[in-house]
Amino acid sequence: MMVTKEQVKHLGWLARIELSDAELERYTEQIEGIVKYLDKLDAMPLQQVKPIATRKKFADLRPDEPAEFEGDALGTKYRKDGFVKGPRMA
Amino acid sequence: MPLYTLGAGQVAAGVKSREFSAEEYIQQLLERIEKVEPKVNAFVTINKGAIEHARTIDKKIRDGEQAGPLAGVAVSIKDNICTKGIRTTCASRMLESFVPPYDATVVTRLQDAGAIVIGKANLDEFAMGSTTEFSRYGTTRNPWDISRVPGGSSGGSAASVAAQECAASLGSDAGGSVRCPASFCSVVGMKPTYGLISRYGLVSYANSLEQVGPIGRTVSDVVSVLNAIAGADENDHTTVGGKPVYTLQERKGLRVGLVREFIEDTDPAVAKMILRAMDTLEGQGCKCKETSLESVAYALASYYTIATAEASSNLARYDNVRYGFDMSPEGYEWNSYFAKARSSFGEEAKRRIITGSYVLSSGYYGKYYLKAQQARSLLKDELKALFKSCDVLIGPTMPILPFKIGEKIDDPLKMYLVDIDTVIANLAGMPAISVPAGFVDGLPVGLQLMADEFQEQTILDAAYLFEQAANVRGSPEL
Amino acid sequence: MMEQKMGLEIHCQVTGTKSKLFCKCRCDYRGKAPNANTCPTCLGLPGTLPLLNQKAVEFAGMTSIALGCKVPDEIAFYRKNYFYPDLPKNFQLTQYNAYDITSIGVEGGLEYGDGKSVRIRRVQLEEDPGRLVYDGGNMETSVYALIDYNRAGVPLVEIVTEPDFVDPKEIRLFLDKITSIVEHLGLCGTKLEGSVRCDANVSVGGGKRVEIKNVGSFADVEKAVRYEITRQKTMTSRDLEVRSETRHWDDARKVTKESRTKEEEQDYRYFPEPDIPTVVLGSEFVSSAQRSMPELPDARKVRFVKHGLSAHVAQVLINNKELADFFESAIKFYSSPKEIANWIVTDLMSFVDERQKEQERSMFAGLKVGPEHIADLAKLVDQDTINRATAKQILGLIVRPGEMPSQVAHKTHAGKIDDVSELAQTIDSVFETEHAAVQDATLNPNAINFLLGKVMQATKGRADPKAALEMIQKKLKEV
Repeated sequence: MMVTKEQVKHLGWLARIELSDAELERYTEQIEGIVKYLDKLDAMPLQQVKPIATRKKFADLRPDEPAEFEGDALGTKYRKDGFVKGPRMA
Repeated sequence: MPLYTLGAGQVAAGVKSREFSAEEYIQQLLERIEKVEPKVNAFVTINKGAIEHARTIDKKIRDGEQAGPLAGVAVSIKDNICTKGIRTTCASRMLESFVPPYDATVVTRLQDAGAIVIGKANLDEFAMGSTTEFSRYGTTRNPWDISRVPGGSSGGSAASVAAQECAASLGSDAGGSVRCPASFCSVVGMKPTYGLISRYGLVSYANSLEQVGPIGRTVSDVVSVLNAIAGADENDHTTVGGKPVYTLQERKGLRVGLVREFIEDTDPAVAKMILRAMDTLEGQGCKCKETSLESVAYALASYYTIATAEASSNLARYDNVRYGFDMSPEGYEWNSYFAKARSSFGEEAKRRIITGSYVLSSGYYGKYYLKAQQARSLLKDELKALFKSCDVLIGPTMPILPFKIGEKIDDPLKMYLVDIDTVIANLAGMPAISVPAGFVDGLPVGLQLMADEFQEQTILDAAYLFEQAANVRGSPEL
Repeated sequence: MMEQKMGLEIHCQVTGTKSKLFCKCRCDYRGKAPNANTCPTCLGLPGTLPLLNQKAVEFAGMTSIALGCKVPDEIAFYRKNYFYPDLPKNFQLTQYNAYDITSIGVEGGLEYGDGKSVRIRRVQLEEDPGRLVYDGGNMETSVYALIDYNRAGVPLVEIVTEPDFVDPKEIRLFLDKITSIVEHLGLCGTKLEGSVRCDANVSVGGGKRVEIKNVGSFADVEKAVRYEITRQKTMTSRDLEVRSETRHWDDARKVTKESRTKEEEQDYRYFPEPDIPTVVLGSEFVSSAQRSMPELPDARKVRFVKHGLSAHVAQVLINNKELADFFESAIKFYSSPKEIANWIVTDLMSFVDERQKEQERSMFAGLKVGPEHIADLAKLVDQDTINRATAKQILGLIVRPGEMPSQVAHKTHAGKIDDVSELAQTIDSVFETEHAAVQDATLNPNAINFLLGKVMQATKGRADPKAALEMIQKKLKEV
């Protein structure tokens, strides 16, 4: 598969990673190389094969019993009145 | 003999018989660490509470309480395994100041067995890499030749064990990350069956492939650590079974298969060493034959598809809002805050996140991810068939010798290709171990042994047999 | 003819489980201090793993069965990958129908209203995100958002219909039925703030499909859909193109607005959650869920009709679980189902303050009347202690203070005047003051009603009209 700079830019947006022009250039070339390698999979006759999966019985799922977590699980120091401060919306 | 040279079993025995105290032992180790770390750089963080912990174990012993099978044993923990109160960075800027509020199940279990966390071991950022060069905290160097890579991603774990900075270590292995550095550093490293060991507290990189794995200087030490950590955990839905106990035992007549594909495209010196290893096993009464695993051809493509896809999603949570590094969110619009914070990922992490997003993006799921998961089924079936006539499959852990730092860092695909022999076990969810096979020009070679699901005892039997016969010993001069 | 088609996506919070979908934090997050109901798992901390709540799966299964869906032998969870500040992992764990794996319910159907039906595309189980608030409540001026993760990870059951609605009124009827079903299942306390949410899609005349998101209450869905139909018809009549898009419901202005983020630019990159194994439900799951399933509204209606209720009254009761439960409690105090049902449906309901009902999300908001009160009232009427008119007055007196009807009847001497001499005295005084009317009545029998009215007025309705009439007729003959 061909990989274009526009695609990588869009993927960067989807992944919310700021990419410099140099990174964009480099990643496009490298990812095209990687994807070409992954294309080996496409040649495999796999239509009849079930994908691998792990299974668990309904009876073995977690019983609905509540418990409180002891301690402060939040790491950030940017807080106010118990809320976490996040960046503003649009 | 200095205490830091002792293996896990010897330490526990010495501490329990009060031949020496856990405190003395830890003190010696800390001095050892101070001496060799400038050369090796195996640790991201040293546990300041280790001495204090040693004292509580000594007190337990004085008070006649049970101190556990690993009493006083110093263990390094790969820095992608959560330790309550000790920062866990994943060698990333993204988690520079992340201090977990909880312990991973494997850490709890080790501590319950009496082990002491000596420090957090270096790794490739978020376990993505095969050299430990992709760390925010500097490259770990191979204790046998500090100009060379220790392997990765659990490079700090393997190097800390090889350099006698601890008795054993916990690494994690998604595609060879325990076995590769074990091979390069000439120590024993095991990737157990998927589901044998809890991943609760292991920071996810490639969830469906990875397991926590023990690293030690001997098979015996690996067994001790494995016994402490193995078994189902209610905090991890993917664990199965009960609580197994493994032993060290002499076993004769094992059926061994040498996988032809593992030898092809391998450095001839390495291949020669592995053929010699097969002779050694044969000399110990094993029935050896050559066999073939055709699925090797597409294994790496399958591995990198799944690993990057899962990683791209796993790493999405690092937006720096709830935890991370110090960057105020005030005044930022959320998209630009996320994008700016997340540009702090290192080179390889970014590359895999974007590759993973690519293979999962609209229209490509069926072409890559689904096919990769189907290919795993095929591979597993082929292996299951082989295990009808073989107890263990062998080959080199790594197709090449430890290489120079920086040698492959600019060519990701070349770097990925070194994982060709290790990814098989992860894709099939089967156990595999790397044991020292010898040295070529002073550089370690590892022998990989694989067995069917939950046949850890078989692997350990074969590894122990080989270890005793091959007698590859010694520690690097540092 | 510009025929419109509409479909719904309904999110019901599972309030019937004690713990969240993937961790042990409580589902009941309401009224808690911000972030007090969180743990490493629902905050998306590194190294945490989802632990699927068995009860939530059971509830989702029951919902699927109640909506006539097929329940597969195996279910899986998928990651829906997108970034948002209230989403701790920056992906949502949900279900997805692809590659032989489906959500917990598919291809169902539900009858509602009078003989209408809608196809149910799927029922799925997923997690709720956290909540964003703004300092001072203003999104425009605030330099940061405040995030509360207490809600993050609460289970949601999503119900998706096919676009089978053609009249906005049908939507209201359908939502009434869904509300009643999920209430009866114990799945969702629909009256809790934010516990039900609805997205709608609308297309007019076979045109492009427009999604409406962010409709915070079922009551507004019909309004949002009507607005959108009008908007699309107006666009078409002006030869403007209706674009396929996602619009947001502006609750304050009651209009749909263009979204800032374009849904089309999203690419959710779904893939199966590796940390949750495929759940094997097995054949036992459905039969066992059916066995443990509570009575559903339709069956309850049939039972009510057997009690002698009219189909209409029974329907009104079961449309709202609160009313139906009220009725069932009342008939335990005093078994007169028809009388009690009528009191509830025709009389008690007239006291409901619609505004308060919306605010407090209870049919009985502000009323202090319990089932025992209505039973008591019905009994007084049944036993001829008071007449119906008096009973209505008493109901008016007690709805807010909450006194027992029998006590009020006693205190106010509201019981019927059984004392013949007391009634005779009243009739005497009416004959004295109403000379002209008495004269009229001797000639014209219809005028008797005027005198009876006066007597009833004087006794404040306590007189037995039949007895009074007889006495008036007798007295007229004596004149």
